[in-house]
Amino acid sequence: MTPHASLRVGHRLGCHWRKKGVRNRFAIPFVNWRLPPFPAPAPQPQSRLPIAWYTSLFPRLRPFVFSASSATRHRRVPAAVQSFCLAATALALLAIGSIAAADAPSPAAPANQPALTFEKDIRPIFKAFCFDCHGAEAEHKGGLDLRLRRLIAAGGETGPAIVPGDAAKSLLLEKLRAGEMPPSEKKVPAEQIAKIEAWIAAGAPTLHDEPAEIGPEVDITPEERSYWAFQPPAMPAISQFASTDRVRTPIDAVLVGHLREKGLAFSPDADRPTLIRRASFDLIGLPPTPEEIAQFVADPAPDAYEKLIDRLLASPHYGERWGRHWLDVAGYADSRGATADAPRPHVYKYRDYVIRSLNADKPWNEFLVEQLAGDELVPQPHKNLSPDQIDKLVATGFLRMAVDATGTVPDLEQASNQVLADTIKIVSSGLLGLTVGCAQCHDHRYDPISQRDYYSIRAVFEPALNPAHWRYENQRFVSLNTEEEQARTAAIEADAVKITEERTARQTELLAVELEKELALLPEALRDPLRLAWQTAADKRSPEQTKQLMESPRIGGLSGGTLYLYNPKAAADLKEFGDRAAALRATKPAENMISVLTEVPGETPATHLFYRGDLKQPRDEIAPADLTIATPPGVRFLIPAHDPMLPTTGRRLAWARHLVDGRHPLVGRVLVNRIWLHHFGRPLVDTPGDFGVLGARPNLPELLDLLAVELVNDGWSLKRLHRQIMTSTVYRQSSHGDPAKEAIDSANNLYWRMPLQRLDAEVLRDRMLATAGILDRTMFGPPVPVEDDATGQVVVKSDLPRRSIYLQVQRNKPVTFLTAFDAPVMETNCDRRLSSTVATQSLMMMNSEVVLKRSAALADRLAQQTPVDFPAPGALNIPSGTAQWQFGAGRFDWSSDRVADFRPLPTWNGSAWNGTGQTADPALAYVSLTRSGSLPCDSQHAALRRWTAPADGTLSIDGRLNHPAAAGDGIEARIVSSRHGVAGQWLVHKSAVATTPGPLEVKQGDTIDFVVDCRESTDADAAEWIAELRLAATDGNQLGHWNSAADFAGPQMPSLASQVAYAWQLAFGRPITAEEFSAVGPFLAQRIDDLGHNFHADPARGAMADLSQQLLSANEFLYVD
Amino acid sequence: MNPRIHPDFDSAFSRRAFLQRNSLGLGGVALACLLGDEKLLANPPTKPVDPHVLDLKPRQPHFQPRAKAMISLFMQGGPSHVDLLDPKPELTRLNDTNYDQQVEFSGVNRASRKLFASPWKFAPHGASGTEVSELLPHTAGIVDDICVIRSMKAQINNHDLRYFFGGIPGIPGRPSLGAWMLYGLGCESQELPAYVVLSDPASLPVDEAMNWTAGFMPPMFQGTLLRPQEPRIVNLDPPARLKGLPQQQNMALLAELNRRHLDGHPGEADLEARIASYELAARMQTAAKEALDVGQETEATQKLYGMDNPTTRDFGTRCLIARRLVERGVRFVQLFLERQVWDHHLNIRANLPAVCLRSDQPSAALVTDLKARGLLDTTVVHWGGEIGRLPVMEAEANPLHAGRDHNGQGFSMWLAGGRFRGGMTFGSTDEVGHHAVENIVTPNDFQATLLHQFGLDHQKLVYNHNGRDQSLTDNRPARVVGEIIHSAGV
Repeated sequence: MTPHASLRVGHRLGCHWRKKGVRNRFAIPFVNWRLPPFPAPAPQPQSRLPIAWYTSLFPRLRPFVFSASSATRHRRVPAAVQSFCLAATALALLAIGSIAAADAPSPAAPANQPALTFEKDIRPIFKAFCFDCHGAEAEHKGGLDLRLRRLIAAGGETGPAIVPGDAAKSLLLEKLRAGEMPPSEKKVPAEQIAKIEAWIAAGAPTLHDEPAEIGPEVDITPEERSYWAFQPPAMPAISQFASTDRVRTPIDAVLVGHLREKGLAFSPDADRPTLIRRASFDLIGLPPTPEEIAQFVADPAPDAYEKLIDRLLASPHYGERWGRHWLDVAGYADSRGATADAPRPHVYKYRDYVIRSLNADKPWNEFLVEQLAGDELVPQPHKNLSPDQIDKLVATGFLRMAVDATGTVPDLEQASNQVLADTIKIVSSGLLGLTVGCAQCHDHRYDPISQRDYYSIRAVFEPALNPAHWRYENQRFVSLNTEEEQARTAAIEADAVKITEERTARQTELLAVELEKELALLPEALRDPLRLAWQTAADKRSPEQTKQLMESPRIGGLSGGTLYLYNPKAAADLKEFGDRAAALRATKPAENMISVLTEVPGETPATHLFYRGDLKQPRDEIAPADLTIATPPGVRFLIPAHDPMLPTTGRRLAWARHLVDGRHPLVGRVLVNRIWLHHFGRPLVDTPGDFGVLGARPNLPELLDLLAVELVNDGWSLKRLHRQIMTSTVYRQSSHGDPAKEAIDSANNLYWRMPLQRLDAEVLRDRMLATAGILDRTMFGPPVPVEDDATGQVVVKSDLPRRSIYLQVQRNKPVTFLTAFDAPVMETNCDRRLSSTVATQSLMMMNSEVVLKRSAALADRLAQQTPVDFPAPGALNIPSGTAQWQFGAGRFDWSSDRVADFRPLPTWNGSAWNGTGQTADPALAYVSLTRSGSLPCDSQHAALRRWTAPADGTLSIDGRLNHPAAAGDGIEARIVSSRHGVAGQWLVHKSAVATTPGPLEVKQGDTIDFVVDCRESTDADAAEWIAELRLAATDGNQLGHWNSAADFAGPQMPSLASQVAYAWQLAFGRPITAEEFSAVGPFLAQRIDDLGHNFHADPARGAMADLSQQLLSANEFLYVD
Repeated sequence: MNPRIHPDFDSAFSRRAFLQRNSLGLGGVALACLLGDEKLLANPPTKPVDPHVLDLKPRQPHFQPRAKAMISLFMQGGPSHVDLLDPKPELTRLNDTNYDQQVEFSGVNRASRKLFASPWKFAPHGASGTEVSELLPHTAGIVDDICVIRSMKAQINNHDLRYFFGGIPGIPGRPSLGAWMLYGLGCESQELPAYVVLSDPASLPVDEAMNWTAGFMPPMFQGTLLRPQEPRIVNLDPPARLKGLPQQQNMALLAELNRRHLDGHPGEADLEARIASYELAARMQTAAKEALDVGQETEATQKLYGMDNPTTRDFGTRCLIARRLVERGVRFVQLFLERQVWDHHLNIRANLPAVCLRSDQPSAALVTDLKARGLLDTTVVHWGGEIGRLPVMEAEANPLHAGRDHNGQGFSMWLAGGRFRGGMTFGSTDEVGHHAVENIVTPNDFQATLLHQFGLDHQKLVYNHNGRDQSLTDNRPARVVGEIIHSAGV
């Protein structure tokens, strides 16, 4: 309840929602008002205070007068505005009523507790425990009806159930206490019995006069009606606040009122790098690039942030991110579920439709209508379809998401009933935020949803999900092929059917053979009667025949389905027909199919209420209608059984249009609640799929209503709603805690800071791919298949780096990485995801193949793409480096025992130093050095890796040399010191040796050459040689440590320091701090040292992969500020 | 971010905190279970918003539990009760005569009505005199510790393990018994997976992961399938390159990064919990390795389980691992042999003894060993399949290679430990062993009884899903079979 007066606020940056005319109601010039010292005295709740009152409190506040447009707007919803206050009052009542019903009264309850009344306190108990027998059905057990106080007092066959004022004489109480009633195991708790007792003792008061009679339809009390979720959303009064409150939007105005009341205030705005990260993950589910961040941080425009939001909203990736949210609600999967879990090959088009619709900002009302009744907007037959018509048909995929076992289990009636029930579940929890499922069997025990209501909704969907004309999976497709292609298809199909008929004939023959074989094993006398019994259809058999078959089970069991058991060859024989038919069908023109839900024209099933939900016990026929509670008393939304303008019944279309007429109490609220949930990681109503009595109450009801009303007024544009939310101060706040504020509102219920959020599973995976630079941004198309790996984990086939929304959703085979991070397994649909923290996630980050691969990819990216001059906070203190090395060609001179004619190799190709490739210098042309490889040209032109001593000392060398090829005659390798000559030499051919000469004395400037030379043959002379060098001073102190592979570098390689800094930018979207940088140095040094010792082919890269893995596993990567 | 995760679970969900949250419509039955407060449970359910229980810490059950852990030796395929645990003299007498009652067959082409006496002899054993077949000499040695139920009745005539473990025929997505136990009780060990599945190297059981699924519950409640050979736990071991020091260095850097990040977010419970979960994972690497290392056991123990014999080595190793896991606080361990190895439609004379040879000694050793270590009182051991087999012959044309078809109408299994009564038989089938006739126990009875031993009321243990309070037995008829439970000492 807003405690504030209905003033409207001006604000400095508040003009961004003013683009459309209707929204300039907030367009007033900003004035730098000052408020009294904080905290301001909280105005007392009062629905609307006169402006004068408000200005008297805040004398320097200039009264704001409604602009014309805002007044106009208020005229548009005058009733709503009025009723907001009513709703608020009702809420206050309910807050007492409903909590009292849920919680045991404390023994020390204050004496002035409100008196118990039948409507508020007692009826909900009876409804939960007794109405099944004493109220809901036409017949009341024992003649007792508990729905009205006077009927209770009148009692049933055993006399009055209560004696008002005399609890001791009340039979009802006696039965409850004795546990006799209710007869089921679920008994009324003692404290509720006590409440009933207190109520009787108080004379059994009611709030209202009771109606003279109760109709069969409406059994909703005013108290139930007054529940907050059933009131139409009403524009709350918005208070006026000054700039110090940083009120940028009406959302802020609502929140700041609550904050001030508690002595709280918004946290400061987050810094720009945080804002762009937050907004990017939120809107497109991908990290911003370093360039995007830099650009935004540097943007001097006053509306830089608003421009950012607009850019992100225009991104095609927006639909992928927000489409995923909707697919959770719809229960999207690429398979049918149930035991077989067969694929649904065409439904991905629905997923693509959702993405495209969101990208186009298709008004949500249209979006919903298309999903519920798109087929009824397209003329039948579905031929020569326009793209828009195709969209509308594909949209009905929403109603085809339920798990479907029809066709795989024998009982179609039961299986199709389950599909219908699940579809209603998805629709009701997704759109209405109500759980109506329990009303399938009995009136909802807590919400005012009768069993008749449930079947009214069922009647909306039953014509399309009609068990009598059930469309099996393969009957749900509409072909988008041309007529000619379809004709060809039909001709081929006709031929295939002929083959199938031949198969049937063949099967009959084979069965006859088996029958005779089996009969031959039996006594002569039995044969003829058994043959006759077998040939008689099951429902035509005499009891005698049935008995005969029972006694000869092998005859009785013989059928087309079991023939393979009797004659395995027959199965092969028959399969050949099937194969031929399949081969023929494979020649059909490629089918471009869409999966559609529609009705069979002219076939309208009657919907019956099933007694206790048992489909074998149909009772009254029920007409289609919306829930009784969703419309005001007396104006129930009834749907004609058949719309004469349509070939189909038009029921879904009528209901859908009604849902989005802007007056429905639930649809808008449910939607904006979800949107808030995804922006803030927590909804305004904690149970997004249940706004009923058992669900949560909104802790900021007027904020929910504000958003719901704005959504409708803004033409159901989601993007405008995102913009309004995201440009608010509440969204732009820092997420950092504040002990003083925690002390007041530790749960952050009033949003005094931005909640920290863990990334959704898909966003986490996509972020890893994007950070590693390997994300494939291709949009749309058939799902990327998944498979089991060797350890039984479900992984993406070939590890394709597509965005997660395009991965195949196989219900029985969910991707291990995604479910580990709480992606839903689509049993039906998902209202709200969890965010779990378990050790298996950590093990996955530490050891799993998939994370290690991403880490290696990031290390590769860093090595290849780090800008050479990317600034780092300093140099890494890693005692190795490229400076000591040169890469060249030359020869070993036998006479001088030294290397001669050293010439540096002139060209660098990104991974190797090479000769010129010029014929003028043919010898040099073919020398090549890579990180660990050396290729000499001929005996006069050896490959030389030269190290120059930076100081005097003792050098120890530890190396490993490998010549892998069998061809040629091997190579000669030497270590040659400029001071001492050859220190060691080796001949290797298809073998490996350790190259460890003894310690060498060196003076500063001496060179040590690693020479790889040919022998007689110049074939296959490539060798791998990695050497570790350690230089110690004469006093034993280590002066340095080098690794020939780690230190290998081209002319323009980014330094490790730059790579580390760039890694921070890619992974966290911010510069590395000096402290972090100094922590990374020793880590890399250790890792490089360790890898070098193990002759890793590229120790620096290996160490960077390890660093990358920690970045991808860090909390800063998993959570967004 | 979920505001309800808090590492300090107890204080975050103190009674007062609960009531406060409840008034905001949070709270719920799941929490009430945690509080073990029956009075709260008796209130009309304020629906759990979603499972608040995002960890597996131990929770208070509804009432004093008798058992703490369970090991299920699931004999998939349908062990032949009339040849193993349910002696039928009348069947022996009527051998080779035609059975005149209605029978449902699965292998119709080999269907026969000829009654088929067990080729094996039964004899009474132990102080209790429970009769078991000569095929189970080791089980014969533990009869005084086991309760043989001879009146199981699955009603359906096929291998539907899911039904047995908490499913409903035809309805997918129901959580298994083990998932319900974890949901209700959590786990005493945080360093080991709480619900472990040990499968056979030859193959997974039929229906694979559906047998230990968490269904509509969060995946943390599902069984963790250990690989049949090392590495038994996926992602537990680092790749060779990272083993030892490198991973320690990695974890140290990660901890440093996370610590600095947390400095900017003091008191953020989610972040603290995740830091702790890395520490836990590191401990798990040691603890799980240790738990799975049967090499630490004495030679005598290994011999007891038959690890010195190639026939029993594999199942014996897994039974021993099961004991080690339970010893370390794991809640539920499920063991399977390969596929439906007990599905003896044919050649039962050769194949049934073969599978008994593989499984009898380790199964009995598990009970003996648990008892010797004082763990049997708190550990339920279950041995049995999803169906039994018919008293009539399948494939009578070649009696030497004949077998028995499915029988969902009556069969046997046994339970030991966890305060089930040893040395007793319960219920019976008809004279030839086709139908359970006396003291029938259905899968739902079985489930309700097991939950009861763990201090859980099968009707009160509810999980709200799709707006409905779901329970393991799903309001189907289910009774706690009190007759097989020790009443004393509770």
